Amino acid sequence: MLSSLPEHFRSHSLKADVRTLLLLRKAMQKGLVKTLGDIYNVLKGIIVKDPSDMGPFTKAYYAYFLHIPIKPGQTLEDAILRSETFQKWKTDYVEEADRDITDEELVNTFLDKVHLTSYDIKEVVSGKEIWDKDNPDQEDTDPINEDDDIPSRKLDKMADYSELSLEELLERMEKVREQQKTRHGGGSHWIGTGGISPYGHGGAAKNGIRVGGQGGGKMARKVMGDKNYFPIDRDSTLNDNNIDAALASIKGVIEESATEKLDVPQTIKSGLKRGGLFIPEMSSEKNEELKIIVLIDNGGYSMAPYVRSVQNLFRKMRTRFAHDLEVYYFHNTIYDRVYTDERRTKAISIEKLLSHSKDYRVFIMGDAAMAPYEINSLSIESLKAIPQKFKKCVWLNPEPIKYWPHTYTIQLIKQLIPMFPLTPAGIERAVRSMNSKGTEG
Amino acid sequence: MAETSHWTGSEKYLCDPALAQAFHMARTLGMPLLIEGEPGTGKTELPIHYAKDRGLDLEVYPVGSKSNVEQFVARFDHVKYLRDSQIEILNAQREEKGLDSKLTTGDRNPESLNDYVVKGPAAVAYSKPNSVLLIDEIDKAPREFPNDLLYALSHRKFIMPESGEVIEVSEEDMPAIVITSNREQELPTAFKGRCIYHYIDFPDQETMGKIIEKHHPNMDEKVVRVALDVFYHLRRLGLERAPTTREILNWLKYMSEITPNEAVKKIAGLEGIGALIKTQADMERVGRMIGADESFGTNLN
Repeated sequence: MLSSLPEHFRSHSLKADVRTLLLLRKAMQKGLVKTLGDIYNVLKGIIVKDPSDMGPFTKAYYAYFLHIPIKPGQTLEDAILRSETFQKWKTDYVEEADRDITDEELVNTFLDKVHLTSYDIKEVVSGKEIWDKDNPDQEDTDPINEDDDIPSRKLDKMADYSELSLEELLERMEKVREQQKTRHGGGSHWIGTGGISPYGHGGAAKNGIRVGGQGGGKMARKVMGDKNYFPIDRDSTLNDNNIDAALASIKGVIEESATEKLDVPQTIKSGLKRGGLFIPEMSSEKNEELKIIVLIDNGGYSMAPYVRSVQNLFRKMRTRFAHDLEVYYFHNTIYDRVYTDERRTKAISIEKLLSHSKDYRVFIMGDAAMAPYEINSLSIESLKAIPQKFKKCVWLNPEPIKYWPHTYTIQLIKQLIPMFPLTPAGIERAVRSMNSKGTEG
Repeated sequence: MAETSHWTGSEKYLCDPALAQAFHMARTLGMPLLIEGEPGTGKTELPIHYAKDRGLDLEVYPVGSKSNVEQFVARFDHVKYLRDSQIEILNAQREEKGLDSKLTTGDRNPESLNDYVVKGPAAVAYSKPNSVLLIDEIDKAPREFPNDLLYALSHRKFIMPESGEVIEVSEEDMPAIVITSNREQELPTAFKGRCIYHYIDFPDQETMGKIIEKHHPNMDEKVVRVALDVFYHLRRLGLERAPTTREILNWLKYMSEITPNEAVKKIAGLEGIGALIKTQADMERVGRMIGADESFGTNLN
């Protein structure tokens, strides 16, 4: 039952497995799931583990439970309006409502129904008396279309699923899914008249009255196309938008080690305090020292678009970590010197660069594209000396990876220094390879 | 039986419906609620107000860079144990010397190791059904800390050091655990997997108005409106550190001490804006904006 759920959500790069199903089942047993909106909420709590999961999650939910595919760049309204599910629902609904309704209103009502949770129902039911007393406070928390027929609403018709056993509910769910697969029933029975939702027919949500579900619908609408809720393309070249993602991966430069070491001075000190009872004091040794040398190729037109974002990345990093960060510049490839300023007027010799502590991590950023003759023996020697001295050394290349095989110099340099694409995902890989080397040596 | 009714906020605390639902779900399932969100969005306030409103016991564990599971669960007081275990000898020696006064161990008995276990907030909360446990700012902890909690979270039990006493809690009696994080570091996936996750969205202008009303009920409406305009304008500028709920509340606290008309004037003149802007770079930026865009301060009236 619902066994394809984890697989479906995983295909939207979300983390879901059999435990997700078990938790969902448990939530059902505890009575947390009574409506479709509840499923959205419960699954959200279980599956979403990061704000950037919100977008994919909403997408997966709409595709799985409502059969509404949301294409990239499409708004939720658009996707709903184009979906078969909505068309089917609309036909029933409009017939029943017996008046002209704009698309916008329709989508709103649809969203309300989809995201109607048992919490909303409770609020409406308990709110009824309050409305009767005409309490103005209630209006704020539960926006109602000032419609004439509020008093005539039949709240008793809003039966919920409490009566249904879990098995029955699951059975219905599965049936609906089957129908959706074969497209026989056309659209979803989740919401609407004959199907699983008891709210469709003559329910309280009739005639455009908002019964709630506002929150969920609003959220679902918001997360579509909001870059905070959608993961940015981790394989696109570094730009201002995904620089934060890159920063997140570069944070991994700080080695997380949990090795414990006997702290001798501390043991003696505290042992003396205890009057001669020596209890070994352990101190966790953390190597959080982050020393970085960045070598940037700022010559030539090919690198120009990237210099700014690269610097931006490391500046952000510096404000965040306040550790050693040294930046040097070179043109195309490294000969016997690197420059300390962007204009490449002040130089330091390669020997001086190599005299840094070997703990430094070296990031070289450049497109590594140049005329073959530019890589002479002097340059090759330098490019060999750097990774030899600094074991943690990577070359980040802004050039899209598919062009790499066509550039001779890239192929050459790649053999000397491990090369990764200058994308958030590439930086992550680079950092990982750096850290794994750290444990070897 | 743990308290699992739906809680929607109190007089002093406006709880976002989505958050209230997530919190309810976490309590019903007996899982911890992990709240993430911008600083100053009331993450820590939730369990505090919940405990206060419902009259439940609250245990707080503020996480710091030196936090470890020992502090959180329980530690064994070796010093007391050593002292007490030597008292008998000391007393015998004293008697020999003809001293009357004897040393006591209080109520502690060196035979029972339990007496020397100093319980941390987690152990206390787990041994009291129906309590609330707040683990504040877990992202400040060393990497091992959340991982060390995994066992306790999934098996609902702690083993006390030395004494071996097991503190176990049934799923029904599980305390309401709220964990907050500012996302300064990524939490381990396994840890997140054991929590119900909720990301607090920054409140919109309307909600913020209600939040302000909860904190400053007697605030002049016009002052609030003008202040909110300035506040959201500043947030839209894309500052390095955008002002948050806490900051606007502080700012208004300052404004509440003067007459409304004066306050409006002051807000429009961006006086006391230091309460909202926290970095030098942002301050300069706002300064430039005011200079460049004359309408910034004026169209708010």
